[in-house]
Amino acid sequence: MPSPSKQFDAIGAPWQIDTAEPLGSDVEAAVAHRIELFDRTYSRFRDDSLVTAIARTPGTYTFPADAPPLFDLYRRLYDATNGALSPLVGRALEELGYDRTYSLQPAASRTRVPDWSEAISWNGSALTALTPAVLDVGAAGKGYLVDLVAEVLAEHGVTTSTVDASGDILHRGAGELRVALEHPLDTSKAIGVVKVSNEAICASAPNRRAWAGLHHILDARTGLPTDRIIATWAIARTALEADGLATALFFAEPAELEAEFDFQWVRMHATGRVEHSAHLTGEVFL
Amino acid sequence: MRNLTDNKTAVALFAGVTLVGALSACSSPSTGTDSGTADVNAPDAGADYTDGTYTESGDYTSPNGAEKVDVTLTLESNTVTDVTVVGYGENPNSIQFQGEFIDGIADEVVGKNIDELSVDKVAGSSLTSGGFNKAVDAIKADALAE
Repeated sequence: MPSPSKQFDAIGAPWQIDTAEPLGSDVEAAVAHRIELFDRTYSRFRDDSLVTAIARTPGTYTFPADAPPLFDLYRRLYDATNGALSPLVGRALEELGYDRTYSLQPAASRTRVPDWSEAISWNGSALTALTPAVLDVGAAGKGYLVDLVAEVLAEHGVTTSTVDASGDILHRGAGELRVALEHPLDTSKAIGVVKVSNEAICASAPNRRAWAGLHHILDARTGLPTDRIIATWAIARTALEADGLATALFFAEPAELEAEFDFQWVRMHATGRVEHSAHLTGEVFL
Repeated sequence: MRNLTDNKTAVALFAGVTLVGALSACSSPSTGTDSGTADVNAPDAGADYTDGTYTESGDYTSPNGAEKVDVTLTLESNTVTDVTVVGYGENPNSIQFQGEFIDGIADEVVGKNIDELSVDKVAGSSLTSGGFNKAVDAIKADALAE
């Protein structure tokens, strides 16, 4: 495992960056700045973010240059999951109690999650909100930020690195990583081990953010948490794709996603059944 | 399956009941993939743990603030043969959440070695895992010290 490590908290999760040499203070500052820029755009938990502005006032908003890959992936996943994976679940999450104060108190009434076409349109650089849309990019945003942080490292000459944002892990450069697939109900246990090299592995499990029998992975078609799948893992070229696909595996049949994306996957059903892609660089303990 | 009104484990915790071993069916997903793991062979796991029952407390931070769980493991021949988790959440959300966590965990960990894998990273996490992992780590340290 590369060392040394840089550890910090960002966007509500612990992060760890492993590199061959210690990061210089200029690189660390650049990483912190990149994360701050991302958060200021996409966080629905802060008052001064672009997403919060959109939630207050419908209209057309120009996004930073990092937005196209994120919205493009969201659109592909929205289509591949027949609308189940949507960036428009923000309001439903708030109503279930997953809001900026973590009230975790479900509201008595629920608002239907709007369809993409009735709420927003994306033209490649600007987003038009037709209603006060509460965007939530939680399905792929953290993975994307992992990619962006790795880009900052590469710009500073750090080409071999592992960026781990607690569930979203990207390996770049020489060597490979052996990664345990954590049992969703018992974190002292693994259900398998995979190897990744110059790719990302992202895990998703509802129990990471669960409250009062609810969790944060919502099916936009019902506005309710999913309950059929209890853990997913996706391995892809980027953490953006891997994170989004890990979420999509809660809603879509893997074959439907495989028709659209090049990736490996593992998922566990609530019944305990574990399934995985035909090609998997690793082992599942079945 | 869980549903929005399922709070029986919360009630059980409230009454001070300690949950051990196999648990209720309807809200406890069981893997079904590890039946027979009780005889996973242990000897080459690297470390030798002293047989016995160990209890440790772990703290973790949830959106409701600081929370605490007690974890009791029974070790025999380097294999976990029993596990008990008791949560102390005071907030109703924490009580229910810990109840669900405990419900799921007790029939999962039995029969697996603590040290089985050599890996660089672990993919997955949960809000309460910090507390549980800390407790398990402390148990491992206790067991090795004896």
